[in-house]
Amino acid sequence: MSRTTWRDHDWQLIHTGAQTPSQHMALDAVLTDEVGAGRRKPTLRIWEWASSAVVIGRFQSLRNEVDAEAAQRHRIEVVRRISGGGAMFIEPGNTITYSIYAPLSLIQGLPFSAAYAYMDKWVLAALGELGIEAWYQPLNDITSAGGKIAGAAQVRRAGAVLHHVTMAYDIDTSKMLEVLRIGREKLSDKGTKSAAKRVDPLRSQTGLPRAKVIEAMIDTFRRLHGLHDDVLRAEEIAAAEACAAEKFATPAWTADVP
Amino acid sequence: MHGEYKMPGGKLVVIDLEVEAGRLTNVQLSGDFFLEPDSVLHAIDGALDGLEADLPQAATTRAIEAVIPDTAMLYGISPEAVSTAVQRALHGEHKA
Repeated sequence: MSRTTWRDHDWQLIHTGAQTPSQHMALDAVLTDEVGAGRRKPTLRIWEWASSAVVIGRFQSLRNEVDAEAAQRHRIEVVRRISGGGAMFIEPGNTITYSIYAPLSLIQGLPFSAAYAYMDKWVLAALGELGIEAWYQPLNDITSAGGKIAGAAQVRRAGAVLHHVTMAYDIDTSKMLEVLRIGREKLSDKGTKSAAKRVDPLRSQTGLPRAKVIEAMIDTFRRLHGLHDDVLRAEEIAAAEACAAEKFATPAWTADVP
Repeated sequence: MHGEYKMPGGKLVVIDLEVEAGRLTNVQLSGDFFLEPDSVLHAIDGALDGLEADLPQAATTRAIEAVIPDTAMLYGISPEAVSTAVQRALHGEHKA
């Protein structure tokens, strides 16, 4: 298999209405497999959130990462994703999350860490156009002089790579620290007293509404790589619903690493 | 018992375990590392379960290596990192 370029592919955009955290987890699994099987063209999906969530990494311990009582009190759904990496705290309107589903050929032969930066080159360009100088901090952080902006994670399976990123648009850091245990440890570990110092969200850096930031990102992707508007097919939605019910919404999966 | 090891680059490798009759039990590996295929996680738990608690670290490392396929991809985790976290759990060194 030789490497393909972005322009070798006919990129599709999916940006639909809000979905629940477990639906998002299931869609990532289903769409990665659809692209891997060649039934779907390579796709960029922008997420909209129906409810608050903590998304923990594939290998994180549920009880070590999440304060279950605080999560329940704030009506936050805890889900486990299929990729590694760290926990994300999400409230509707506070983050910008996207997934890229690509054939493995796009990152063929690239070292692990180069594949991350390669998948998000367009985002760094988009941020630059919004006046934010951002760069990749290996392995999987997008950061700026003001602090961290986003975290990425990749997983490769069955001929495809899933690359998904959560960017902080606006963030309630005190609530985040009530819910995420690791946040407290990492902060104390780094000797940073203010949580706001570690994450510098897009809202304060751009002064733009969230929808405008998303619009600018989509425009940049379209200009650099080409992009056609698409929708989820009925069978994809049905497969994701089944997958959420059987796996991602179940305590067995969420507590796979208790 | 709980032990942590922070990899260069900041990923955390965490071990929770108990010791019964001199052997490791209920071993749980976790962390914010990357590991493919993901089934390797529980394979490592299984390799550690039942090991003698006073085993030298190098032997623990070898037991972990034995269940990691050549084709597996590891980032932010290594057999040595896991065995270090095991040692720290056993000897009460909680901090990464």
